Amino acid sequence: MPVDPPRAGEDAPEELEWRRVHAATPAIRSWKAFVGILAIIGWQLTDNVGDLRDFVVGGGWRWILLGIFAVVLVAAIYSYLAWRFTRYAVGESAVHLHTGIVFRQQRQARLDRLQSVDVVRPLLARLAGLSQLTLEVAGATGSNVELAYLRDEDAVALRAELLAKAAGVRPRAGATPAAVGEGGQVEGAPGEEPIPAGSPGADAAAGAAAYAAMRSTPARPVHEEAPERTVIELPLGRLAGSIALSGTTLFFLVLAGVLIVLPIVALSGGFGRDALREMGGIGGLLFLLPALLGLASFVWTQFSTGYGFRAAISPDGIRLSRGLLETRAQTIAPGRVQALEIVQPLLWRKPGWYKVRMNVAGYGDPADVAGTQTTLLPVGDLDQALLACWLVLPDLGTDDAVGALTNALHGTGPDGGFTIISRRARPIAPFTYRREGFLVTARALVLRLGRVTRRVQIVPHERTQSLGIEQGPLARALRVASFTVHSVTGPVRPGVANLDLAVAARLMDEQSARARAARAQDRTERWMDPEA
Amino acid sequence: MTAAEVSPFAPPEVEFTGVSPALVRVRVMLSAIWLGLPALVAAVVALATKAAWVWSFTALFAVLLVWALWLVPRQVRAIGYAERDDDLLVRKGILFRSLVVVPYGRMQYVDLSAGPLARAFGIASVQLHTASAATDAAIPGLPAAEAARLRDQLASRGEARRSGL
Repeated sequence: MPVDPPRAGEDAPEELEWRRVHAATPAIRSWKAFVGILAIIGWQLTDNVGDLRDFVVGGGWRWILLGIFAVVLVAAIYSYLAWRFTRYAVGESAVHLHTGIVFRQQRQARLDRLQSVDVVRPLLARLAGLSQLTLEVAGATGSNVELAYLRDEDAVALRAELLAKAAGVRPRAGATPAAVGEGGQVEGAPGEEPIPAGSPGADAAAGAAAYAAMRSTPARPVHEEAPERTVIELPLGRLAGSIALSGTTLFFLVLAGVLIVLPIVALSGGFGRDALREMGGIGGLLFLLPALLGLASFVWTQFSTGYGFRAAISPDGIRLSRGLLETRAQTIAPGRVQALEIVQPLLWRKPGWYKVRMNVAGYGDPADVAGTQTTLLPVGDLDQALLACWLVLPDLGTDDAVGALTNALHGTGPDGGFTIISRRARPIAPFTYRREGFLVTARALVLRLGRVTRRVQIVPHERTQSLGIEQGPLARALRVASFTVHSVTGPVRPGVANLDLAVAARLMDEQSARARAARAQDRTERWMDPEA
Repeated sequence: MTAAEVSPFAPPEVEFTGVSPALVRVRVMLSAIWLGLPALVAAVVALATKAAWVWSFTALFAVLLVWALWLVPRQVRAIGYAERDDDLLVRKGILFRSLVVVPYGRMQYVDLSAGPLARAFGIASVQLHTASAATDAAIPGLPAAEAARLRDQLASRGEARRSGL
């Protein structure tokens, strides 16, 4: 049936190519249900170890097996039906996902709102050679598009395609890949200076030309991965050390010490043996299990999400990959990091380690306590922390970026252009009053907080959402106020309290003006489109 | 104006528009329902059971009700909003004051809502949403016509200045 030509101002109906996720998906999903049921039943039965023995001998286990089998069968049928009804398609400006058996859901995610593309590979999927692709498009939590599971090659190709479309890469007629000249230099457009290889500009030019070359042959729309350059790697020893030197580990060790050492001390003196018999033998000591499990789970989460951490820069944006059993490869498009925070807890001061966290729209799931998505650098030294900031903000907007950030991390007092909080706030902030403050650079607002746990928060001007000033009765008496920069949901909450009133008023005005000017110049929405 | 008198809550050359006094009536009625009714019920129970300690509940709710009746008019008078060229300012609070500046270019959507009591008094609440959940730019108690005008104006300004996320 012939399609009418598009009228002015109206998009033509797209010819979408609908695809299915991989056929092994229902099997993987129902296996998860099986493991879940087993875990629940196992936990119930170990409540009383003695009962378990009776249970096995008595023959009640047959009913349990039947129950498990029935649940798994239902889960398998449901997963198969869900797979049948799941389709996705990638259009020119949006990704479409249709899901749902009874309650159909049609989700359309605009590619110009793309924040990041994550390729997550849970252990089971890895064994089967499959991956899950998650797109974050800056809606509320739960608005992301999850395609599970695809073959590894398909997931990688799809990621490249989505990022190319979001970047606005246009096919050029007769485009050829950029010529690589002598000495590894990449030629830019004719008439431009050759860009030295290895700089982000070279990667962008090579990447853009490569994409354009790919797109200029629409018969074969194969998208290749953009080149990337690894910038930060996390050695295993440092990861282990950072877990050992964390507050949670310390707390659990103290707790375990109290719970284990005390009974032993008591045991050695006769009194303990009676107490042990009172508690019902060795089974009584199982109450220690939850505490130890808490520590074990914390250590395991930190270890398995930090293992093999690698940060790289590419024309697609920032690439992070990490994971032990479940691997995760995040690609955050340029200019999508809304705020950044460098943290140094007290215990890490001696080894000189820092942790960097970020806010990205769509990543701020409150259930993600461990911060697996929002951690830009789990642990690193000063150079790596500064590199992580460079990944997000290549140009901090000041002549001496390293000096400014080092001052922000370690310094006190009004040196280096920092405006510190009001002297009048000294009674309510006796430890931090010379330390907390802010610095405005041409590109970002840098907030310096905390004396025991040192924190530095950086908000690029063009990423400011709204600004707020608050003043409670105590602050009013002292004539100070708090200044907050509202940012998307995430671990970073930029703001500095106890600023002098006049300073806060001026900062509010100037920050609004700067944010407006920076927004007008922001080109990161379609970052490789030459005409954007 | 000396430096000590510059207050961020009263920026120069900005005139804050107040909201309708009908909001006072709505809030007073709500306080009467949520605080007055339990006080009444407690009084009835105290009279019925003749137990002295039940009077303490009545006293508690009565005190809260009086405090609310004193506070609400002041709170409503303290709400103000101002439309500037590029952003909207919303000011609230007496004891815990706050001022929020929301740029038009960052607005994602505008909500207009009115409960049954508010509709009966002809007022509505307009709330702006940005990408940040922490943006609390809700203006309650606007006369219905003004609320509609504000919503349309904000929506069109937001659309005109929209610039990414």
